Amino acid sequence: MNTVNTITLPRTVSRPHENTRWIPVVLTTIALLFLTLFLFLPLACVFAEGLKKGVFTYFAAIVEADAWAAVKLTLLVAFISVPFNLVFGVAAAWAIAKFNFRGKSLLITFIDLPFSVSPVIAGLIYVLLFGLNGWFGPWLAAHDVQIIFAVPGLVLASVFVTFPFVARELIPLMQAQGREEEEAAAVLGANGWQTLWLVTLPNVKWGLLYGVILCNARAMGEFGAVSVVSGHIRGVTNTLPLHVEILYNEYNFVAAFACASLLALLALVTLAIKSFVEHRHLRKHKR
Amino acid sequence: MSIQVKNVSKNFGSFSALDNVSLDIEPGELVALLGPSGSGKTTLLRVIAGLERPDSGETFFNGINTTATPVQEREVGFVFQHYALFRHMTIFENIAFGLRVKPRATRPQDAEITERVMKLLKLVQLDWLHDRYPSQLSGGQRQRIALARALAIEPKVLLLDEPFGALDAKVRKELRRWLRNLHDEIQLTSVFVTHDQEEALEVADRVVVFNHGKIEQIGAPSDIYDHPATPFVNQFIGHVNTFKHGHNNDEIAFVRPHDIDVVNQAGDNTIAATIEHTIKIGAMVRLELSRKDNGDYVEVELRRETFDKLNLNNGNVVHLQARRTKVFDKQAA
Repeated sequence: MNTVNTITLPRTVSRPHENTRWIPVVLTTIALLFLTLFLFLPLACVFAEGLKKGVFTYFAAIVEADAWAAVKLTLLVAFISVPFNLVFGVAAAWAIAKFNFRGKSLLITFIDLPFSVSPVIAGLIYVLLFGLNGWFGPWLAAHDVQIIFAVPGLVLASVFVTFPFVARELIPLMQAQGREEEEAAAVLGANGWQTLWLVTLPNVKWGLLYGVILCNARAMGEFGAVSVVSGHIRGVTNTLPLHVEILYNEYNFVAAFACASLLALLALVTLAIKSFVEHRHLRKHKR
Repeated sequence: MSIQVKNVSKNFGSFSALDNVSLDIEPGELVALLGPSGSGKTTLLRVIAGLERPDSGETFFNGINTTATPVQEREVGFVFQHYALFRHMTIFENIAFGLRVKPRATRPQDAEITERVMKLLKLVQLDWLHDRYPSQLSGGQRQRIALARALAIEPKVLLLDEPFGALDAKVRKELRRWLRNLHDEIQLTSVFVTHDQEEALEVADRVVVFNHGKIEQIGAPSDIYDHPATPFVNQFIGHVNTFKHGHNNDEIAFVRPHDIDVVNQAGDNTIAATIEHTIKIGAMVRLELSRKDNGDYVEVELRRETFDKLNLNNGNVVHLQARRTKVFDKQAA
């Protein structure tokens, strides 16, 4: 009887495993089909449409004066708003993770606000504040400062929609690391700046980089908020996503898709950097 | 360097962590702050270090008021419970940190930093680990590196928070003896926090027993064990049996398990009890008994020879006689 038992036992154990083997296969197939339909196909379509009339037309569309202006403006907006959010994100995350103060949960809620508010509303807020008929509009007009329908407005809107990225990435990381290393640094004589530069930031550098990458991707790709404050002045206040829309509305499909492919390329490069960073991050942790 | 704590109180919300605590620590002493978790011992250590600001009261180093001195300027060595080593730095850089962050005027040259770090690594007997990262070290090694890092700034006092709390029993015992020897060698005023009475009694010159944010007793380890000042200390230090006592049961008597004799015949001051379990640990045997009259649990510790001589078995009824009793008023308990 004993031998029979020892033979049947492994079988009963392995049977559920055999029965469930099809589950991962089905789930993976569903996921891949879904991705193909909603991601790979559209992505391929962007490049295919852009290159429909040949490589020459494709590049001509990109180097066209207005398109090129849009590229430069997009880079400028990202160049200003990303560092701004880097500083804000580190400051907010440090305060939230390492100190106790009144209104902490309120601050966390406010940081999430851009995620929950429609970008269009974010744009409208700035129009209502700084537009010609807005709260500060008359004063700004009197002092000859233009924010709405100009670069400052684009930067403001981009900063607003992207400010959760760095902070959100850092807060859980810093909270998990606790305060002990900072306290150890303080006892050893390090002042606040030395603690920040030598202990806190090196500990979160991969998370920080990850947050910056996501922040940058969103800053370059933002449409809604930017659309409201831009005024769509060709070659002046059109960022790349806005330029794509204008070209499309003018039935200039090849140029629209060529420019869109630039944004898609940006997304792919971002993804590549992101996986590289994650890879480094994991390896660092394993060591 | 002497440490003085005067009437220090500290609340966290409505929880009173320290309630008007005063304590004098002599230069060169090794003092243990002992108590259950939440008794305020770690808070006092952090107040002395400057990591926590007391709500009221003052702290003095060598008679100089340090209550308002920032933690960076107190020149204390602090060893954290979970070591708090800088995870992205090598062991060498961890120990060098305190020297590298000094203002330019007082910062040693690189060559001197290297020399001092290697000397400390030799002191903690881990010089071969200098280029590793903290995650590559065992708990006991991390603990010694944390100590070396704290000593690098040549602190005036050394403060240790549960220094052996996260280590396994064998390493604990080794490090305990090692810390005792190190202290004898460098004669640095040291305070350590522990919830392990054996650790406190074995390592410290003096033990401070905490309960509910107040000091229950301060004394040499043997004093604390043999002459507990309060019922709490009596119960917290070592194992103890409690008996109702006095004419109206208005007193409580504490008797340590090894202060009870087992006799075969009833006498004037004996209690009859049944042996429920016998647990043999090394040279000692622990008996768990229940009293015949009220069923209360009693613990007795006998030497192995005595136990063998008495020829005892589970289920036997024996008579217990206390050799030493400590009686407290019931109000105090």
